[in-house]
Amino acid sequence: MREQDTYKDLSDLFRVEDNALPAEPFTRQVMQAVRKQRMIRRLVVGSLGLAGASIAALQLPALLGEWVGVDKTVTQALTTAPTELSAAAVNQLSAAAMSNPMWLAIAAGAALCIFAVSAFERA
Amino acid sequence: MRSDPDLAHAAAQGSEAAFAELVRRHQAKVRGMARRLAASEATGDDIAQTTFLTAWQKISTYAGGTFSSWICTICWREFLQWRRRQKMEIEFDETAEIIPFDRSADQNEMRMDLTRALETLSEAQRVCVVLCVATGLTHQEAADVTGWPLGTVKSHVQRGVALLRTRLENAHVA
Repeated sequence: MREQDTYKDLSDLFRVEDNALPAEPFTRQVMQAVRKQRMIRRLVVGSLGLAGASIAALQLPALLGEWVGVDKTVTQALTTAPTELSAAAVNQLSAAAMSNPMWLAIAAGAALCIFAVSAFERA
Repeated sequence: MRSDPDLAHAAAQGSEAAFAELVRRHQAKVRGMARRLAASEATGDDIAQTTFLTAWQKISTYAGGTFSSWICTICWREFLQWRRRQKMEIEFDETAEIIPFDRSADQNEMRMDLTRALETLSEAQRVCVVLCVATGLTHQEAADVTGWPLGTVKSHVQRGVALLRTRLENAHVA
């Protein structure tokens, strides 16, 4: 015999009492509370999300402004660097050639070698 | 008809209709349990409502098994929290005193013999009788819900049922 069988008559009496309770008003009340709780949670999460997005959006112009500035600087530096470098190299080369003509021969030899290698490579 | 675990799974996915069905199915048991534990209909219904709200929040933690046992565990915890708030902590042991209930004479007269007889039991006996006899949990489930030893639960149920029968017989004789 199961333990519950010894008091089945009492359990039935309690069950009759419980089943007499109207289910619908209570269920409706619980579901209203559930919906209210859900709405409040959505509202809180949505508000926090919106606040976060607004703060991020406010930071965006400053961030983009700094980024454009860096970009300009870098681009400018990259564009002018070869010109400056080649001008400086020509100046240094001509200065070296003026002081010692041997540098001219060395430079000509190097240039000839580079030309030969590049020509051979293409072939 | 969909099973409780199916409905719980659907509710965990966000289905309010599935959860409403679970509430409809178990409200009688939970309300009965809460009303008898709190010894007040209004407070019992408040505890039952809080129980279902907590169940809705934690529905994803329901890992199968008997749904009524799961919901009764939540109801028991909500009842304990309510008791703590009321600052009416009571030592749940065999020597516990009978708790007097704050109830008007008119209300008492209207109550059924069964409920009145239940209120004459000691707190520990009443808890065990409510869980096992009125709510329909097994002794093991009641022991899991309360955290009390199985032997203690069995003993309280046995004594509580015997006393309840005596009280009911006396009421009928009178």
